[in-house]
Amino acid sequence: MIREALVLSEFVSAGLALVLVYFLFKAYGFTRSTSLLGLPIGFSYLASSYVFLALYILFEENAVFSSSLLWLRLITQSFGFAFIAFSYYFSAKTDRPVRQLLMVISAASVLSILVFFVALLVTPPFLVLPSAHVAGNYSRVLNLVFLGYVVYYLVARLRSRDRDFSDLVSAPISFSVLWLAQYSMFIWGIDGSGTAFILAHVARLASLILFIVVYCSSGRVRG
Amino acid sequence: MTAEKRTKFQIYFDILEALSDELRNDSMLQPTKVAHRVNLPYDRFRSYLDYLMQVGMVSSKPDGGLAVTEKGVEYLKEHGRHRDFLRLMGLLS
Repeated sequence: MIREALVLSEFVSAGLALVLVYFLFKAYGFTRSTSLLGLPIGFSYLASSYVFLALYILFEENAVFSSSLLWLRLITQSFGFAFIAFSYYFSAKTDRPVRQLLMVISAASVLSILVFFVALLVTPPFLVLPSAHVAGNYSRVLNLVFLGYVVYYLVARLRSRDRDFSDLVSAPISFSVLWLAQYSMFIWGIDGSGTAFILAHVARLASLILFIVVYCSSGRVRG
Repeated sequence: MTAEKRTKFQIYFDILEALSDELRNDSMLQPTKVAHRVNLPYDRFRSYLDYLMQVGMVSSKPDGGLAVTEKGVEYLKEHGRHRDFLRLMGLLS
């Protein structure tokens, strides 16, 4: 029952992330500002990371295959958060160098993930990397840094405004909830707390829903 | 700090928005006034305007004036909505 609930939670998260990717690509289509591309690319990676975890849960019995899936989950998730953070970092920069840089980073990340996956499948057991479970907590620390930067950037941006910014708090709140989800996973990785594990899943779903709500509320006349 | 360079799509949006605003105030608007408002040299403004007419977002009226078509109004709405989304996401000022 718990296994099914986890698989469902991962697939629902992937679905929500893909809806968000669709909205973000649509927004990119209207503005064509390259620095914004990091966001849909980042959420695409996050969607794939949720699918990899669902597949890992489904194929847990196959040790080699499931270990590779777990590694893929960790890598795609960190790439996802990195792209989102890069998007915010580059949003204030000029367009052309960002475009080239993003294209190079995107191509390199896809290639490195493919090479890594093949290497994991063909590498003899005595050469395999440390357990993905152990590496998981290190990757979560990295993810917390990336998300922490985004939250810091958005809050600093709000603080620099003189005017009313009540309509602009939704993005920092959504990213803070996503940060909380990663932090809860980090705590679960240390002490195996069931509460932290459940909170991580609930917070992640809530943050993705919040992002979609932000899209749906955009374009309304503000008083 | 230098001003952010506008993308081609942002310029189309600015022209449509300016045309729409000017037409609300003056049914016989002068293209030079719009070019000035969107901060473009007249020849460049003209090439953007020609493109907008070609894709059916702006049309010329029998009296020689300009009009924003329904397609143009729809584009304005959608572009505005997506810019607002990016603003709410903290990616645009």
